Amino acid sequence: MEFLKSLSNNYYYLVAIILFVIGMHTMLTHANLIKKVIAMNIMDASVFLLFVAVGYVRGGAAPVIEASANRVYVNPLPGALMLTGIVVGISVTAYALSLVTKIFRYYGTVDADEIVEIRSQEQ
Amino acid sequence: MEDQIVRLISRLVAPFIQLYGIYIILHGHLSPGGGFSGGAIFGASLVLLALSFNLAAGVKQISHATASYLESGGALGFALTGLAALALGGYYLANGSAGFPLGRPGELFSSGAILLITVFIGIKVASTMVTLFYNLIEGEARDGVSEKPEQ
Amino acid sequence: MMVEHFPVLIIVLPLAGAFLMPLLARRQVKLCWPALLLILVLVLGMAVTLLWRLDSSGPYFYHLGGWPPPWGIELQVDFLRVYLLLVVLGLGLWIAVYAWRDLEHELKPELIGWYCALYALLIGSMAGIALTNDLFNLFVFMEICAIASCAVITIKETRECLEAGFKYLILSAMGTGCYLLAVALIYMVTGHLNFALVREALPEAAALYPNNVLAAAALIIVAFAVKAALFPLHVWLPDAHAAAPSPSSAVLSGVVIKIYAFALLILFYRVLPGSLLSAVPLNEVILWLSVLGIVFGSIFAMVQEDLKKMLAYSSIAQIGYVFLGIGLANRTALVGALYHLLNHGIMKALLFMAAGNIIHAAGLRRIKSLSGIGPKMPLTMLPFAVAGASMIGIPGTGGLIGKWFLALGALETGRLLIVIIIIAGSLLNAIYYLPIIINAYLNPLSEGVSFKPVPRLMTASLLAGAAAVIFFGVFSKPVVLLLERAVTGFF
Repeated sequence: MEFLKSLSNNYYYLVAIILFVIGMHTMLTHANLIKKVIAMNIMDASVFLLFVAVGYVRGGAAPVIEASANRVYVNPLPGALMLTGIVVGISVTAYALSLVTKIFRYYGTVDADEIVEIRSQEQ
Repeated sequence: MEDQIVRLISRLVAPFIQLYGIYIILHGHLSPGGGFSGGAIFGASLVLLALSFNLAAGVKQISHATASYLESGGALGFALTGLAALALGGYYLANGSAGFPLGRPGELFSSGAILLITVFIGIKVASTMVTLFYNLIEGEARDGVSEKPEQ
Repeated sequence: MMVEHFPVLIIVLPLAGAFLMPLLARRQVKLCWPALLLILVLVLGMAVTLLWRLDSSGPYFYHLGGWPPPWGIELQVDFLRVYLLLVVLGLGLWIAVYAWRDLEHELKPELIGWYCALYALLIGSMAGIALTNDLFNLFVFMEICAIASCAVITIKETRECLEAGFKYLILSAMGTGCYLLAVALIYMVTGHLNFALVREALPEAAALYPNNVLAAAALIIVAFAVKAALFPLHVWLPDAHAAAPSPSSAVLSGVVIKIYAFALLILFYRVLPGSLLSAVPLNEVILWLSVLGIVFGSIFAMVQEDLKKMLAYSSIAQIGYVFLGIGLANRTALVGALYHLLNHGIMKALLFMAAGNIIHAAGLRRIKSLSGIGPKMPLTMLPFAVAGASMIGIPGTGGLIGKWFLALGALETGRLLIVIIIIAGSLLNAIYYLPIIINAYLNPLSEGVSFKPVPRLMTASLLAGAAAVIFFGVFSKPVVLLLERAVTGFF
């Protein structure tokens, strides 16, 4: 009961971990290369979610300090970090997709199993 | 594909998207947003034009070469801003402590090096979006001949 | 004083250079390589100056933007970091000299500028990993390094390169994803990203939230084991390092995988609390995985037919030695591991360069087809033989010293089995390196092989590498003294 209670209070951890595992599983086991790239993004997004959730303060405002107002702000650091993380994720995704298009041009398919088959037939 | 509605709308909307992008870049130090978000919006408007018309129309807005120059220039500008702080006697990327004018908080021309850096990042991100798009499109055209799937 | 700013300049100059290269390539492609070499020489000079300053005035921290740790990113300059920096930059410069001539023939001319940009990016990011003292900053440099190293693999755009590059990209994205999750878990319980502050806050946090910290430690091991190709997670390495152009293979196998082993070392003993490591024997895990890596990497290498693939599998065995030093957790072994890191960098890069020379001159890749080429390419096969001897650990070569210290360290902890495995690993190396050398010198040349002349600069850099292998084998004292000062903070 205690466990369930703490779980419901921290449900975003659970969501993040589930997303992370989904992403990792798909990335490692799925044959479709595009889906691998999507899974990579899901995995990254789960960590971004966790980070931003950690930095959130209930009822906090966007962390732009105004001299007059005296209120609670959310932690700006995770947001800034995750922006960097998103940028990094975008570049990796763009690069991975360009690789997939090149591979598609060689084989006419983006399925890893079919690619293996094509190669084994050639030998 | 030629769709009159898409073309008309995107031509109408593009300047406003660009203006909004510039606004977000310039207010990066005052409100949520900044170089990356603003640059992405600005770049998206250019990609939108190229998508709804064709590559030639997009290239007329900003050529591939110009985009690459801006891309490198934006990144170098960032690095140079950091080095300027060194030259002024502060640490790398130092702001107020290196003597950049900080202005009054809340005003447009405040925050010293941060505004400069945001603008450079905006330029870099917008042109990167465009070069990425051009590269994917042109790569198709350029490599298509030599790299046909081997039957 | 300007010297104070050198740490950040060492990172920024190559990165800025990387953005300069595309501009330069549009104007004057010929200037790209000289510009790259100039940057690398400059940066190496700065690193040497840092070492000199370190000797006179001791370790110090550099705060980016002048913001002290809880707010700003911190770079640390101590003997260990500067040693790594010297290894990365020295090897980087040496391989770049070789790559200059080799890639002129191997790559399309319009790609030369891009290769220079990627190379500069790779060196800059590795310098960043070596110096940074911040968890998230480390992540960013790791991603830059991953993209740059994938790109130097796939730059030729052959089918093998593309597939190997994609595989590497996906697996390394998994690695960095794991690392980022670990950072999130640590940040969650400590509220810090700076190594020193996290280390201070972790013992208390680990008592309150043991699961978080344990999960983070496990994720860190997985992340860096993937990145550095520790045994069961090495699957991407053979394809990637074998398919890449030879200079890329040299820099990837010689330097890039080492830098991740180093990052694991730092995170393990400078960030994670000692109480955690004594409660859960994580270094035992690393120790036995590295033992498996030493044995199986060599066994896989034996059955390979392709020369570069064999060298790649041999890297898996050799990175095992570096991890062995991390797992043994005592200073002598760590000195050995770090010495091996330098030496393996030199010899593996040398072997890949020699393979590149052979491919360049005769187009041969299969191990069997190398018979009799020794007398035909004496200046290539002599360095190859020297590097092979060093791999085996013949006295007078650098390979012996590292293994010697590792074995001493293992004896200090009373693990005789590890000593036996270190010796057995050397014998296994002999089984696959000696036949190639014997075959190249004693057997007759197979028919129909013609030789193109190899550019002099390529041969010269090979000879320089062979000289370095012997130099570090005979005059090991200065480096060992430096390393003993570098590891004083550990354990």
